[in-house]
Amino acid sequence: MTTTLPPAGSAAPPVPFDPELGAALTAINEMLPPAFTADQIPLLRSGGPLMVITDEELQRDGKFTVAERTVPGLAGDPDISLLICTPTTVTGTLGCVYHTHGGGMIVGDNRMGVAEMLDWAEEFGLVVVSVEYRLAPETPHPGPVDDCYAGLVWTAEHAEELGFEAGRLIVAGGSAGGGLAAALALMARDRGGPELAGQMLIYPMLDDRNDSASGLQMAGRGIWDRTANDTGWTALLGDARGGPDVSPYAAPARASDLSNLPPAFIDVGSAETFRDEDVAYANRIWLAGGQAELHVWPGCFHGFDSMAPQARLSQEAKSARVRWLHRLLDA
Amino acid sequence: MKDLAVRLAALDADAGAALQVIAYFDSLVEARAGLQSIVRGAAVLSGCPARLEDDVRRLRIRVDPAGVSSLSPEPADPAWLRMPILADGTAALWLERPGPPGPIEAMILERATGAARGVLDRTRGRARAPDPASVELVLDGAADPELRRTAARGLGLPADRPVHAIALAGGAATVAAADAPVPAGRAGIGPPGSVLELPASWTAARTALRFTAEGTEEDPGPTVVHFAQLGALALLAELPAEPIPDVRALEHAGSGAPWLLSTLDAVADGVSLRAAATALRVHHSTLQDRIVHAEHLLGWNVREPQGRLRLQLALALRRLHRHRQT
Repeated sequence: MTTTLPPAGSAAPPVPFDPELGAALTAINEMLPPAFTADQIPLLRSGGPLMVITDEELQRDGKFTVAERTVPGLAGDPDISLLICTPTTVTGTLGCVYHTHGGGMIVGDNRMGVAEMLDWAEEFGLVVVSVEYRLAPETPHPGPVDDCYAGLVWTAEHAEELGFEAGRLIVAGGSAGGGLAAALALMARDRGGPELAGQMLIYPMLDDRNDSASGLQMAGRGIWDRTANDTGWTALLGDARGGPDVSPYAAPARASDLSNLPPAFIDVGSAETFRDEDVAYANRIWLAGGQAELHVWPGCFHGFDSMAPQARLSQEAKSARVRWLHRLLDA
Repeated sequence: MKDLAVRLAALDADAGAALQVIAYFDSLVEARAGLQSIVRGAAVLSGCPARLEDDVRRLRIRVDPAGVSSLSPEPADPAWLRMPILADGTAALWLERPGPPGPIEAMILERATGAARGVLDRTRGRARAPDPASVELVLDGAADPELRRTAARGLGLPADRPVHAIALAGGAATVAAADAPVPAGRAGIGPPGSVLELPASWTAARTALRFTAEGTEEDPGPTVVHFAQLGALALLAELPAEPIPDVRALEHAGSGAPWLLSTLDAVADGVSLRAAATALRVHHSTLQDRIVHAEHLLGWNVREPQGRLRLQLALALRRLHRHRQT
């Protein structure tokens, strides 16, 4: 329940970075340092390191139609916006990937991370729906995840209109978006719907307690260290962060029951804060008799594949996700 | 924080970009990155495909600017930007576009080849000297056989082919597969056998070494002697180190005329006097004159079969006495 973190003095030595990614990190850290505090949130949001993604880029030379739909939030909540990209050149039945973007719960928009979703959409014939959820600290829990759930329910109910088969709906997200996707899977199970074919959790942000050994040993290094993590969780949960009353829909690591969930794909770097909590989540899914595939990428920092996409491990991580999707979606 | 894409490839042609290139390859070197990572760095930072070719290791690496490794069936275009990695020209790095290089490309080529050179130096065939402690162990007949076998494996000796010991000038020893090339310089080669027979091979090798010579005018004779080829001659090595009259006669004769010992060695060794003359690069009649002079000093006829054998033995004994058993 404390807002100060225990000192990192006795932590284990840090995991060394992969040579290619370590070399890239020098330039990346100039734009995005490992740690940051709440007062730096406006700076992060101002778009310095973030790229604006245009409709044209999303359309990919006519391969996709791009639309924005406003749909109702949960009871009493404001309307939310969904970005919908539909493939134009795919024949056969389409599936759908419902995407929750990353950004530590405090930055980003529903165009972040969509590029990789579009790659999958081209390969598998998917409609991409990416939800614009309200951000913390302005909107604390449960606002953000409720927005995501409302959009998911709407999407599933409008499968026919959107042009996909309801049984081929997956949730996917990276970092905070991965945590939101995991929460959606829990909510869908607990609230009786919608039916999900799988959950793709890319280096997900799952545990507000932020006390893992991996966080300690990587403090001050890489991307999204434990200080940044504390900033994000505190923005979402305030004083409740780390305490006894945190909902599993805010922090899926808090869920006591991980049974009866859709098949999960979880990946994470070995040199990032989230390593321990992501490995633990996969292990608990197995302990509950569930299906999960886990990849821990050696020497990789948080977000490595999107920040240094040409590195060999970045290529391997992305194709591992695609291979899982093949096994999940191919008839 | 997903999707904060940093395009390292989008470098401006200014000092900041050059420093970024330097920092990038310095990081790779410090992290002991491999050749593929280095070539990838060159491709991504320059925005064009990069390739590395090493003729000695038969290595071909090619990476495109997206970081994907893919070999091309086309050979390197001579018009492309190229920088050698090693001074002998056997390994080089290319950026697949025509020259001349801009300042950033020049920096990329320089730093990437420097990084690659480090990798090649580290992993290429500067033949590692065999560990002396292991050599001593395999040559020690009193040591535990299992330890000797383990040491032999550690030295890279084959377990299923004959091996032999080699005695080198100055008392050094080495061991090798019997079919390996013989080292340069004076060497006595022990008979081939198994790893456990190396101690005996070593004893024989030291004897064989005593039969070698520098191959100079003052010390003519073979620089490499195989014990297995000595035959009964090896018995001479067991004689006590007493001066033998014929050896003294050789020394006496040799002290008077510098050409005499090598002439006698050629006569002793040659299949015919003509062959000896050819080996000495003298006229046949010159050789005849020299032989007459030598026989006068030695006191026996070296052209007859018994005299020739006596000469061969005297020369061998002379070498033995020059290289006392240590």
